[in-house]
Amino acid sequence: MRGRSAVIVVLLFVVAVVVQTTLFAQINLVTPDLVLLLVIILCLTKIRPEAILAIAFTSGLVVDLLGPSALGLRAVVYTTVAYIGIRTRDRADIGRVAVALWAGVLTLIGVILLMLIGTLFGQSSLLGENTLSRLILVPLANLAIAAAVAPLVVRLVDRDKTAFRYP
Amino acid sequence: MLSRESSNRLLPTFITLLVVGVLLMTIDVRLEGKGVVGVLRSGTQSIVAPLQEAASLVVNPVADMFDSLTNVASLREQNISLRAELAEAQAELVGVQDRLALLALLEQLYGLDTADPSLGQTVANVIGKVESAFVVDKGTNDGVVVGQPVIDTNGYVVGTVRTVTSGSATIVPITTGRNGITVLVNVQVGTLTPQVNTSEMRLLIGDAREPVLEGDRVVTSAGSISYPAGLPVGVVLHDAAPESHSLTASVEPYVNTDTLRIVVILAWPPDPVTAATDDAGDVEETTTTTTDASTTTTSTLENEG
Repeated sequence: MRGRSAVIVVLLFVVAVVVQTTLFAQINLVTPDLVLLLVIILCLTKIRPEAILAIAFTSGLVVDLLGPSALGLRAVVYTTVAYIGIRTRDRADIGRVAVALWAGVLTLIGVILLMLIGTLFGQSSLLGENTLSRLILVPLANLAIAAAVAPLVVRLVDRDKTAFRYP
Repeated sequence: MLSRESSNRLLPTFITLLVVGVLLMTIDVRLEGKGVVGVLRSGTQSIVAPLQEAASLVVNPVADMFDSLTNVASLREQNISLRAELAEAQAELVGVQDRLALLALLEQLYGLDTADPSLGQTVANVIGKVESAFVVDKGTNDGVVVGQPVIDTNGYVVGTVRTVTSGSATIVPITTGRNGITVLVNVQVGTLTPQVNTSEMRLLIGDAREPVLEGDRVVTSAGSISYPAGLPVGVVLHDAAPESHSLTASVEPYVNTDTLRIVVILAWPPDPVTAATDDAGDVEETTTTTTDASTTTTSTLENEG
């Protein structure tokens, strides 16, 4: 990952964390997990796979440090989602709808993992009151946002205007 | 299709990060968020809080507008009922002012000492939310310390301060806190604990002598080490009778953390240092720093909520 791409990635994550913890924290109807979505979209870029895992881990740690849950919970979940994302990203390359569905499925895996690991480490109550509705709403919101912004983010990070241009 | 690098080191990197993550979780759970982890949390929060504060200036009106649009049908009725409530409250206020004036006169006549019993209060704006916890724009500079109780503008219990920086604090609500609150229902003392996937809380009275009834008010008990006595917490949802001297019931907290914009942080105990000496078992760590303007005491209480 080159210097300019790294700066873009850091800026994107800062914006994601701030928007997630301010705007979407107050609107109950729309509840995406922007940081997780950004991790998933980064899997589609040309960034080295190990670097993507490191970015996923670090961004998860930052969210853990800001929230009340155990340090490392989201780091583990985001890293696992990134690993699955890297392994399956070729399936998402076929079109905008495929990217959106792929991002939605990966988000669903992330939310389930968060609940499972959170429960194992006694963090289930800290994850919020409406955990079951989050199982549906978060993947759907991420799916919609991925359809809109994933190609744009990939082009921005890779600085490749031809990336993800579908006929 | 994009050409991307493939790597043989992907799986080892993934496993290493997983192991590190699980180790961190284990350490954090064992340390209960204190020590190095607490310092890291405060550090991260002090970096992100100014950004959240700036963003909330733009976001709050947008969120309010969004809320208004989704509730537009009920706003008119709500307005009428609120006006009626306001008129009633103003009438009550006049009555209370009369009684206060009478009380002041009687105190003057009998030469009573009227020490101010009110607690120090810090009013704070909610600037962000992470999972169930929320971030407010007041910190140690405003006298906020870890463990202090937080209420909403109606006086209902919200939670406790979890971490604090110079200009912000993270508050964990009672509905998601790790431990329980000691509460009073009528004359019986019990413990209120959060439950998974619901805002309802579980009331457990160990030495129950009488049933609790639907609608009974639940308030903080004098036995609580994290909250002053008498703060309203919630209401009992269903009747419950004692079984083998113990009783369990569901309680709906009064506070709705989703709609909180402003909270009040109570300076309680009024003097944490004295409280620490009085009851060393309840307070695990206390540090005092003196600044030009004020003395700020940071204490980590045995967290109830």
